[in-house]
Amino acid sequence: MKPNQQIESVAAAHRERTARGEILAHPVWSDLDGKGRREAFERAIVSRRIEAALHPDGLSTTALAVLRRIGRGQ
Amino acid sequence: MNDLDVELGAIAAGDPEAFGRWVAGAEHELRWSLASFAEAVDTEAVVQEALLRIWQVADRVEPDGRPNSLLRFSIRTARNLAIDHVRRSRRAGVTVDIDSAPEPELTGSAEALDPLLREAIEDCRDGLPRKPKSALAERLEGHGARHDRDLAGRLGMTLNTFLKNIGRARTLLTECLRKRGIDLGAYLGAR
Repeated sequence: MKPNQQIESVAAAHRERTARGEILAHPVWSDLDGKGRREAFERAIVSRRIEAALHPDGLSTTALAVLRRIGRGQ
Repeated sequence: MNDLDVELGAIAAGDPEAFGRWVAGAEHELRWSLASFAEAVDTEAVVQEALLRIWQVADRVEPDGRPNSLLRFSIRTARNLAIDHVRRSRRAGVTVDIDSAPEPELTGSAEALDPLLREAIEDCRDGLPRKPKSALAERLEGHGARHDRDLAGRLGMTLNTFLKNIGRARTLLTECLRKRGIDLGAYLGAR
């Protein structure tokens, strides 16, 4: 995976969880250098806001992932 | 920004719909509060972990008489989680003392989404080329619960192609808004 795709991947909301429910860091995150991590953070800021704008209840994919975890079906 | 504590009582009583409304208003400020940790921890994982903890402990949070006590509590929680992650991974360069860390102040710099901006974003989304548009739609429909590899597969794309199209969608959408004279900076609370 090219660096730009790695950053895009980390900027997504999906995160794996352990059997105990612990949320894991994205597996590619540790492969990024500081600049790449900062870029992933900034892309996530923009992406989550756009997602929220496009959702009828203003929920981003982060919010939807969390709400699914607590049992609020979407 | 609005006082999101209007939802506190219902959240404490276990109302997931109220929690959803609170998260919709709080997530962006919470994420921005972790900007200084962006190079040290995976902030997406920390944001989600913090939100889940807030849901678990909301019934024990006492309003302090100022607006957005639950949001301020969540920001402290997220910062402490981030510091824990940094310590566990023994990454150098972050020396924040949890006990003496100053309480973060809400900036409230990000504007709420107004209907006209929402309409413009929807119009720009509708005008995207087919592949970026379908990649963005798939991400939204995945609700953050499905790996990009699965989402790509549903569209018949490789993972790399899917990610490229996600990036294109965001870039083209923000360019579309700019051409309409809309600067996303206020909505993003750019700092």
